[in-house]
Amino acid sequence: MSRSGGRSPRPRRKGSRGRFAPLWGWALKLSLVGLVILAGVAVYLDAVVQEKFSGKRWTVPAKVYARPLELFEGQKLDKDDFLTELEALGYRREKAVSGPGDMSVASNAVELHTRGFQFYEGAEEARHLRVRFAGDKVAGLSRVGAGDLAVARLEPLLIGGLYPAHNEDRILIQIDQVPPYLIETLVAVEDREFFDHFGVSPKSIARAMWVNLTAGELRQGGSTLTQQLVKNFYLTSDRTLVRKATEAMMAVLLELHYDKEEILEAYLNEVFLGQDGRRAIHGFGLASQYFFSQPLAELKLHQVALLVGMVKGPTYYNPRRHPERALERRNLVIDVLAEQAIITPEQAAAAKQRPLDVSRRGSMADSSYPAFLDLVKRQLRQDYREEDLTEEGLRIFTSFDPIAQSKAERAMTETLKRLGNRKGAEEVEGAMVVTNPETGEVQALLGSRQPGFAGFNRALDAVRPIGSLIKPAIYLTALERPSQYTLTTVIEDEPLSVKGADGQVWKPQNYDRQAHGDVYLYQALANSYNLSTARLGLELGVPNVLKTLQRLGVERDWPAYPSMLLGAGALTPVEVAGMYQTLANGGFNTPLRAIRSVLDAEGEPLKRYPFRIEQRFDPGAIYLTQYGMQRVMREGTGRSAYNQLPASLAVAGKTGTTNDSRDSWFAGFSQDLLAVVWLGRDDNGKTPLTGATGALQVWADFMRRADPLPLDPPVPDNVHYVWVDARTGQGTDSNCPDAVQMPYIRGSEPPPGPGCGLSAPAESVMDWVRGWLQ
Amino acid sequence: MNKQWWLLAVLAVSGCATVDRGAIPVVDASAPVSEGGGRPSYQANPPAAQPAAPTDSGVVVMVPQNAGAPLQTFPAPEQGLPVEPAPMSTPGQWGASSQPPQMPGMTQPSGPSGVPSAGGLAEDEQLDGPVLALLTTAQQQQSGGDLNGAASSLERAQRIAPREPQVLYRLAEVRLAQGDVAQTEQLARRALSYASGRPALQASLWNLIAQARERMGDAAGAAQARERARVGA
Repeated sequence: MSRSGGRSPRPRRKGSRGRFAPLWGWALKLSLVGLVILAGVAVYLDAVVQEKFSGKRWTVPAKVYARPLELFEGQKLDKDDFLTELEALGYRREKAVSGPGDMSVASNAVELHTRGFQFYEGAEEARHLRVRFAGDKVAGLSRVGAGDLAVARLEPLLIGGLYPAHNEDRILIQIDQVPPYLIETLVAVEDREFFDHFGVSPKSIARAMWVNLTAGELRQGGSTLTQQLVKNFYLTSDRTLVRKATEAMMAVLLELHYDKEEILEAYLNEVFLGQDGRRAIHGFGLASQYFFSQPLAELKLHQVALLVGMVKGPTYYNPRRHPERALERRNLVIDVLAEQAIITPEQAAAAKQRPLDVSRRGSMADSSYPAFLDLVKRQLRQDYREEDLTEEGLRIFTSFDPIAQSKAERAMTETLKRLGNRKGAEEVEGAMVVTNPETGEVQALLGSRQPGFAGFNRALDAVRPIGSLIKPAIYLTALERPSQYTLTTVIEDEPLSVKGADGQVWKPQNYDRQAHGDVYLYQALANSYNLSTARLGLELGVPNVLKTLQRLGVERDWPAYPSMLLGAGALTPVEVAGMYQTLANGGFNTPLRAIRSVLDAEGEPLKRYPFRIEQRFDPGAIYLTQYGMQRVMREGTGRSAYNQLPASLAVAGKTGTTNDSRDSWFAGFSQDLLAVVWLGRDDNGKTPLTGATGALQVWADFMRRADPLPLDPPVPDNVHYVWVDARTGQGTDSNCPDAVQMPYIRGSEPPPGPGCGLSAPAESVMDWVRGWLQ
Repeated sequence: MNKQWWLLAVLAVSGCATVDRGAIPVVDASAPVSEGGGRPSYQANPPAAQPAAPTDSGVVVMVPQNAGAPLQTFPAPEQGLPVEPAPMSTPGQWGASSQPPQMPGMTQPSGPSGVPSAGGLAEDEQLDGPVLALLTTAQQQQSGGDLNGAASSLERAQRIAPREPQVLYRLAEVRLAQGDVAQTEQLARRALSYASGRPALQASLWNLIAQARERMGDAAGAAQARERARVGA
């Protein structure tokens, strides 16, 4: 203790004496070093500021667009569907159309000013159009003040994007694209000295301090727009003094190098304005689309005021979550504008009268059509690197039809609701694929019974046994051999059993557990008889049927077991759509497409996904198969579709049901619309639904809503219609009582029968008719 | 521009043709061809037919509004083919009445229904406004060397009028100019399936197939196709 006490003063004294002089030296040296370091930091910060600001400032996720709606005279388009599309595109109903994004609606006509858009093959200009409707058709299309127009396109609906891990999204805008009052409002609210200061504003800081002191709490930040930009752009959000100093320094440096307009433009694109699930909404361009479904340039004063008001607290003032707060804040902003004489008191009063005008949901939200976007992403990932998709601002044009999608969603939801009283129906999931058979384009996709469900995409990933959906392939295989099989070839619907290679015995049964004796080939298809179909398939050879399936577009490698003939093989709904597309399109196979083209961020064409076809079957054999599939709908297992559909709507299709109704399928088509519906349980459990009582009901409901063109295939040159006796299948004459017309491949028809001497008793005809119609 | 003339020449030489009654052989020939790699080798590979003065076997429709080239369309001698597929069936009888003769969608005989042709130059009006406008746009893009743009415009026309063989014919032509000979033949085949009763168009389609096969090195197939173009002339 004493030792240490005795010893200690010496060094202390020594130290204190020797400390002062060198301390000054040290301080001098230190401050010199500090200056050097500061200069170094400044140089470094300057490099940082310039590097990030002069290069590509943001990465922009790829944007995915729906098909643009085409308008032309004679087009089948329901006026209500048209208005739905316009509303989704953010068109405003006005008394008179004065600029892009305006529409005015009369009883049988719609006037609108389109916005114009850059497409793959060229630009569509913004035009003032008048669309006249008669019934469910466009009766006339003209440019207001410039006469009739042959064809026009709306801009396409943005349906989503491809977001990277950090989920930042924006629509880049240029400073000359902003609406009136945006810059004035922003400056008035956030940084009044913006055009005068050099990056930091001592005046603002002083005022902020004064306000904070007098209010006794932290109310005003005193950050300039430049500082805010620096903070968002370069720095993390921790609130330390060092960071504050860095921010100020960088703000000054930024102002040194760039003019006010550039800084403002960067600010407009950078500012955070909301959160959409995992996606961060950055910039006024995207915020405008997200909250109003409108391009930024079209925003009116009250909308501008709302967005600028939100800068202070995007979550707190979220107009969808907290409309009252948002409205109060907006009106405060409007008052500030009036106070500063940027607008007149009358303008302010009028703007404050307006509602928030926020669109119902982010119509371009990534969550709206997840199943279809999933399909698009999978296709894109085959052709692009992930970073190209999430950073380069690509524009992806798809064949997605929002009108068809919403009809498919409604058909699924409402039919399942209707079927919901069946025991076990609430467990049933669903999937649906809608395509245009003439182009092979996918128009709509449901990955679940629940619209907007973003999880397991059953349309693409549920691999389920297809049951009787396979049968058209068997009949097509037969009808390709006209010397052996025609639609009126008699086949046996009798029990059979086959011993497989593995020693197992396969013993198929009909759904009704009955044998039906001798039936015409087309009847076996129409009624989906298993016994006769299995016999036919075995006659043809299972490998030949599998070959037909491959030519139809099925790319699975199935073993040639007899059970394959009744649909033991499993496919996804999208694969089924590919297979039926070949049947629907005259035997021409088209790979299903969801993407039409890709443009880069500047609107330059990058890639096209062209229409490709390949003839895989004789058109005559396809024609006869389609005929059989129409009989399915008129008199066979699909006939209940006509409880919902008008008799004039010719459609072809096939039901499919697997053991214990674990899968309920229907695939069918009209001239211009093909749809595949699957219902079943994710755990592969039993359902109360057959193909006819389940999937067909959804399908028919959808077709009724979509109101497509009736199936009307051109009769191939090698096909002709012949009068045959419906009871014997023999050739007959048109004036004979049982005479019906059937299509045949030329040369395969029965020889013409003798004319009718005596007409058959009327009673038996009626018996036959009843039997046939049953 | 040359193309227009030789096309007319082909028409003039081949005259009227009909499609064989026999089944069309199915050809599995489709190698993926890059859309970007289109070469305008059209002129480099002249067709067999010699240039000749246009005759009335083809109708030249002048493209409206200062388009660079005349647009080729075809007369439909007997019946006009509607651009929109129109239902030919008599609606609704079948389920209700007890007569089961045939399917409404499968009516025969097969003649395309629709606008009765007025004959003569009125035939050019068979193409609806939007289709004609888009074919015109495609023509301009093609003569400007933008084959992808032309194909894109034609696919737009195809979506509007999927059963109009002239659209498919023009698409097949663009594919040929792009060097995609497999698709040229396939598209021409699809067009043929919709070109019933339009012999001049059929002949041109077969000639297109002949050119595609020549380029594939299939001389025998090309000769066969030319033969079909002549049959029924």
